[in-house]
Amino acid sequence: MAQRAEMTIDPRAELDASPPPVARPAGLRATALRRLRHDPASIFAFCLLVLLVLAALIGGPLAATLTGHSPDTQYPDALHSDGLPIGFFSRTLNAAGTATNPHGSLFILGADQLGRDQLVRVLYGARISLLVATSATALALVIGVSLGLLAGYLGGWVDAIVTRMTETAMAFPNVLLGVGLAIVIGPGLLNVVIIISLFTWYYPARIVRSTTVATKKMTFVAAARALGARPRRLLLVHLLPQVWGPLLVYATSIIANNIIFEAGLSYLGVGVPPPTPSWGQMLSDAVTSGMYTTDIGLALVPGLALVITMLGFNLLGDGIRDALDPKGRR
Amino acid sequence: MIRLAGTRILGALAQILVVTLLAWLLFYVIARFTGASPAQRIAGKTASPAQIALVAKNLGLNQPYWRQYFIFLGRLVRGNFGFSYVQQRPVSQILWPALRATASLVLGAAVVWLSIAIPVGSYGGLRPRSFGDVAGRVIAIVGMSIPVFWLAPVLSYQLGYEPTQGRLFGLPILPVGTQLFPITGYVDLGQNPVQWAYHLILPWITLAIGFAAVYIRFLRTLTAEQLAEDYTRTARAKGASTSRVLIRHVGRNVLPSLTVLLGADVATALTGVFFVETVYAIPGIGYVGLSAIENLDYPVITAVIIVAAVIAVVANTIVDIAHMALDPRIRHVPDA
Repeated sequence: MAQRAEMTIDPRAELDASPPPVARPAGLRATALRRLRHDPASIFAFCLLVLLVLAALIGGPLAATLTGHSPDTQYPDALHSDGLPIGFFSRTLNAAGTATNPHGSLFILGADQLGRDQLVRVLYGARISLLVATSATALALVIGVSLGLLAGYLGGWVDAIVTRMTETAMAFPNVLLGVGLAIVIGPGLLNVVIIISLFTWYYPARIVRSTTVATKKMTFVAAARALGARPRRLLLVHLLPQVWGPLLVYATSIIANNIIFEAGLSYLGVGVPPPTPSWGQMLSDAVTSGMYTTDIGLALVPGLALVITMLGFNLLGDGIRDALDPKGRR
Repeated sequence: MIRLAGTRILGALAQILVVTLLAWLLFYVIARFTGASPAQRIAGKTASPAQIALVAKNLGLNQPYWRQYFIFLGRLVRGNFGFSYVQQRPVSQILWPALRATASLVLGAAVVWLSIAIPVGSYGGLRPRSFGDVAGRVIAIVGMSIPVFWLAPVLSYQLGYEPTQGRLFGLPILPVGTQLFPITGYVDLGQNPVQWAYHLILPWITLAIGFAAVYIRFLRTLTAEQLAEDYTRTARAKGASTSRVLIRHVGRNVLPSLTVLLGADVATALTGVFFVETVYAIPGIGYVGLSAIENLDYPVITAVIIVAAVIAVVANTIVDIAHMALDPRIRHVPDA
């Protein structure tokens, strides 16, 4: 109800007679954007995500150029003679691997168990995470929105089939079936994207279906139909725009979930194949080799990268949800 | 209500049928083209063609596919999940102990996350923007953002391994050789309840943190929504204390939604807590399933998937029916 206040005419408009009084209510989108801009948590999350995208786009090559370390090269002088990698902010060792070489090359986040630069790898890993998560989300949205719209609009047996499909898909244990599928269809970037979207399309499908069922009973849809709008126009021009709000909130959390899913698949060894750096892979290397018990940084670096990314998406999702909430403040 | 519940149960049965068909197609039919035949794998590498043919005949593998599916279904109904290729014993002997272990893990963790989330979440809903609420929300959003496959090794290292070296969170404050928590291992409840709980504390906490975060947020929103309703104001106006309003009025209205969420989450978790089980070496469904996948032990994989799906479907059905019982409003609305 607080929104009503914005509809009252600005008192100054009556004094200044020249422009006609504008009593247009602020649209949902404008209100939402204004709320987002005034929410410190959302701004913080947005900055985090911008930094993350920058890190993914230019951070990797930049760090590689500055340090002179490529993401996949193994540097033998970054390992101690007993095979332990050098830690945070250390320089490479002398040829015997016993003492630090003062002129050695600097490994800002240390090296991994194969002597690769952790900083360069974690930055390149951001690419894989974002690439896989966003494309899997996009694919899941395309499948989910189409099925959800059709089911919600057509109803009847189409709706029954789609609803059963979503429920059946949800009944499968996703990690296990994901790993099983990955083994059957083989590793690779595209396969990971397909697998992840197979386990996420049903959430948007359900949301879109229920929104469409509610929207198609509204007067404006009946009006459009009375004016002769064909089903395709009704679906794309009138019904589709109504689902963006709920979907937007969902899309941020689905991306976050997909990042975790990708990392989980990589952690279990069926993600993007090595040596391509990915956070899940780095984490699993550190844990399965047991090396993280001597150098906790190995698990800390990719783990924190994941936590920060998730935090960004989750906070932004919260912000968007609050901003779109018609019952919200302001 | 009875009719609604009946429809719901019929739908659930249809779903289970579809899941068994898909799992069978994927791991009995398609997988057959990618490796050794099942008869070959059961008979062993050194078996003669005659022996393999005999095994195939005994298992009905020489029958047409549609018939094999019905044989497979018939065995499932009688609780026969086939024979593990790798462990050379009936799958059911592997499955039920695993289910016990997973259930111990999940149900214990559910107690932990509820006992964190109920007080924190309802306090947040009661006193929005207070210090406790903000702290709870920050903890919740961070907790949601921590991947469990990272948390599990880190906790097992910090609280399991490090104390034996005399350190706690990097500080040398403990005598060397202290064992705060066992690092791995599992003891069955029937064997030794104390050891059972002791070995599960760390896995419980690990699993509970992510869920606690979700439940804090959920309960906070629900409590705040209910407190904004007229009926709570009426109750307050009649002189009900805050705790009475929270427990008798708000609690009664939050319970149905909480049951639905809890049922769905527990069911999903029962189908395998893969990362926690692998890190702490708990021989549960997730652990068994993943090692079966590594060994391409198809009968075990199929059984795990079917059991998992049945658990999910049955739990969702029970939850829906419980929801109808707890919330009289949805009984009268078909298709709700």
